[in-house]
Amino acid sequence: MDVLAEITIILADILDIEGREITPETYLIRELGAESIDLLELSVAINARFQIEVNDDELFLRTLRLHLRTAEQEGKDAVGYLAEKYPALTVARVAEILADMGGGPVLRVKDVVSYIDWYCQR
Amino acid sequence: MILSFHGKKALVLGGSCDLALTLAAAMMEAGIYPLLTFRNEEGREKINARLLPLGGSYGVCYLDFGDRDSLTSLLAQGYGEIDFVVDFAQGDFEGYVAAADEARVYQYFNANVSFRAELLKKIARIMVKRKKGRFVFISSVAAGRTNPGQGFYAAAKLASEALYRNLGLELGRKGITTVTLRPGYIRAGRGKAYLEAHGEEALRLVPTGRFLSESEVAETILFLLSESAAGFNATELTMDGGLTACK
Repeated sequence: MDVLAEITIILADILDIEGREITPETYLIRELGAESIDLLELSVAINARFQIEVNDDELFLRTLRLHLRTAEQEGKDAVGYLAEKYPALTVARVAEILADMGGGPVLRVKDVVSYIDWYCQR
Repeated sequence: MILSFHGKKALVLGGSCDLALTLAAAMMEAGIYPLLTFRNEEGREKINARLLPLGGSYGVCYLDFGDRDSLTSLLAQGYGEIDFVVDFAQGDFEGYVAAADEARVYQYFNANVSFRAELLKKIARIMVKRKKGRFVFISSVAAGRTNPGQGFYAAAKLASEALYRNLGLELGRKGITTVTLRPGYIRAGRGKAYLEAHGEEALRLVPTGRFLSESEVAETILFLLSESAAGFNATELTMDGGLTACK
């Protein structure tokens, strides 16, 4: 089973949203209403399922605004700086995130999948 | 009352102290398998000397709050798969705030607060998977009312109480709850020597006119682990015979 399918099953169980369509583009917080405690449970489930020690801050992009402020203060290019801080994300995805920040929490299912793929390939 | 514990496993941190050993004996009698941690050979021998003759089933494991590798090793052996955690672990540190050695202060809080936070995180995450877990932290009335020289001890206890409180309020919905017990004077452990020297003076301060016994504190901890006590979450309970209510 691929990572996306696994994550979909885990999310459906944690968020009690069986039957609802989850795609790579689905927002975890904006659309699925995931709360901090749900994300903790997701991280624990990923931990167990994929046998990896995830960093919750990186996985859920919690430090995004902090990094952005640092890039601004240090006069660095935001896209390049964030891509460095989140090696699991492509430069294109980082640019997409930056353009999307006004709409609320940017975390999508595909970001979680990318993190796991990246971690497993390290 | 629901006091059935059969088949449960408990991790008893700071397992070689007198109170932990009394609790472990009561646990074994109640059907709980206690896994007691020790930080040196003397501690391991003390545990075995007290529990082996009882003929029951228990385990021992090395864990030093100053040694993060010891936590990794404990968890790698599957010892995190437990129902209860009872935490007696606490390093000694007597000294005036204005006189304490700085290096020792950093080391003390690393061991007694930061290490504990790491341990709580890791064990709580295992419990989240099982959607069940109960923590009892053994603090002290000294967390709220200190004597000169107890500032660091109290600060570490208060910080640890806060960690346990938050754990219970953050994970209560997932079936993981916490409670802190603040016992008063007990004729055991580090209190024993103090009470031998200042017993009469201390006794005058306790409205019930007696000190706590190890067994009554152990029984209270067992009650706090029971289903009947599950409503006590993210809070601190004082058990001191009325000591800290007095002016």
